[in-house]
Amino acid sequence: MGEVIVVTSGKGGVGKTTTTANLGTGLAQLGYKVALVDADIGLRNLDVVLGLENRIVYDITDVTGGHCRLRQALIKDKRYEGLFLLPAAQTKDKTAVSPDQMKALCEDLSQEFDYVIIDCPAGIEQGFRNAIAGAHRAIVVTTPEVSAVRDADRIIGLLEAAELRDPKLIINRVRHKMVAAGDMMSIDDIIDILAVDLLGVVPEDEMVIITTNRGEAVIQDDRSRSGMAFRNIVRRITGEQVPLLPLEEGGLFSKLRRLMGFK
Amino acid sequence: MDNRRKTAGKQILDEIEGDENTILIRRTLRSGQKFHYSGNVVVMGDVNPGAEVVATGNIIVMGQIRGMVHAGAEGDESAMVMAFRLQPTQLRIANHITRPPDDEVADSSVPEMARIKNGVVTIESYPAKA
Ligand SMILES: Nc1ncnc2c1ncn2[C@@H]1O[C@H](COP(=O)(O)OP(=O)(O)OP(=O)(O)O)[C@@H](O)[C@H]1O
Ligand SMILES: [Mg+2]
Repeated sequence: MGEVIVVTSGKGGVGKTTTTANLGTGLAQLGYKVALVDADIGLRNLDVVLGLENRIVYDITDVTGGHCRLRQALIKDKRYEGLFLLPAAQTKDKTAVSPDQMKALCEDLSQEFDYVIIDCPAGIEQGFRNAIAGAHRAIVVTTPEVSAVRDADRIIGLLEAAELRDPKLIINRVRHKMVAAGDMMSIDDIIDILAVDLLGVVPEDEMVIITTNRGEAVIQDDRSRSGMAFRNIVRRITGEQVPLLPLEEGGLFSKLRRLMGFK
Repeated sequence: MDNRRKTAGKQILDEIEGDENTILIRRTLRSGQKFHYSGNVVVMGDVNPGAEVVATGNIIVMGQIRGMVHAGAEGDESAMVMAFRLQPTQLRIANHITRPPDDEVADSSVPEMARIKNGVVTIESYPAKA
C-alpha cells in the first residue's frame, strides 16, 4: 500500500502547491507511481502549475459524488509516465467533499500508487480537515517569517490533535544573505520554536516562478538551487539519508538541527 | 521516628503547598492552544508564541515560555512563574500585566522566576545568585 502525504501550512502562499508539484514530479522521475490530489476546492491551481489545466474533464467532487470513476478523473502528466493528478473543483464550495469521502478516496488511491500527495488549502477550516482526513503523514511548509512560523505551529498542534504525529518541516523561500545579516529568521530559530524534524530548506529562487509560469516544476531544472533542494527532499522522503547541503544551510553552523529521513 | 518527622515537617511547612491542585502537561503548548486550570500548572515542554497558560496558582515550565502566561489568575499576588527560559509575549501575575521592553531582546539563558515584589513584577534568575 502506498503512502498518503498531506502538504499543509496554515498561512497561505508559502509554497504548498509548488512543493506538491515538485515532490510529485521528483518522485515520478525516480520511477514511483504518484497521484497528486488538489484538495484546494474552489481555488484549484495545481493543474495550472503542472500545465494540465486544459485536460480536465472530471474533478474530485465528481468522484466523491459518484458521477464518474476515479480512473476517469485522474489526469496523466505530459512528461512522466507514473504521475497523475486528481484536480479540484473550481466552482463548487469547500463543503462539497466530506472527511469520510476523502478518507475513502485516499484509501483507493493508495492501493494503486506508491505515493499520494495532497495539496492542502490554506487555513484551518473544513478544507484543511478534509485534506488531512486520509493522510498517513504530513509535511508542513513555512517561510522564515514570524507569522508563517506561528501558523505552522498552530497547524502542527492541530495535526497532533488529529493523530498525525511527527510532521516534517520544509522551510521555503530562504534568503541566506538576509539570514546572515540577521534580517531573516534562521533555520535554527524556526526549529527551536517548532521542534519538529527538518525535511529540507528551499532557497528563494526566481527559477521557481519562471518554471511555474511554463507549467513545469523547478525540480526538472538541473542547475537551479531550488531544484537541487527539492531533489534532496524527494530522496529524504524515499528514506535516504541526505545531509543538508551547505547551500541549504547557508553556511551557518547548526547546534540544534534534527535532520531526518522521512521514514 | 514519628517525632522527628513532625519537627522536620514543622520547619518546612511554610514551603510546602499541599492544598492546591497541580497538573502536569507532558508536551509543548503550540500556537492557538489555551490551557486554563484552577491550581498549579507544570509544563514539560515549551509554551510557544500564541499559546496561553492561565492558572490560579503557580506556573512552572520545564522549557521555554514565549507565549502568554498568567499565574495567580484569581488575584493571588504570591503566585510565581518559573521557566528554563523566560521570554514571554506577556506575563501576568494576579492583576499585574507585564511584557518585555520593546527595544531590548532579552536573551535569558538561565532559569528565571517572576513574582511580585514590592508591588511590581520582578524577574530574577533561579536559583537566585548569592
Ligand atoms: N522557493 C521559491 N522561490 C521563489 N518563489 C517561490 C518559491 N516558492 C514558491 N514561490 C512562489 O510563491 C507563490 C506562492 O506559492 P504557492 O502557490 O506554491 O503557495 P501555496 O502555499 O500553495 O499558496 P495558497 O495558500 O494560495 O494555496 C507562487 O507564485 C510561487 O511561484
Ligand atoms: Mg496552493
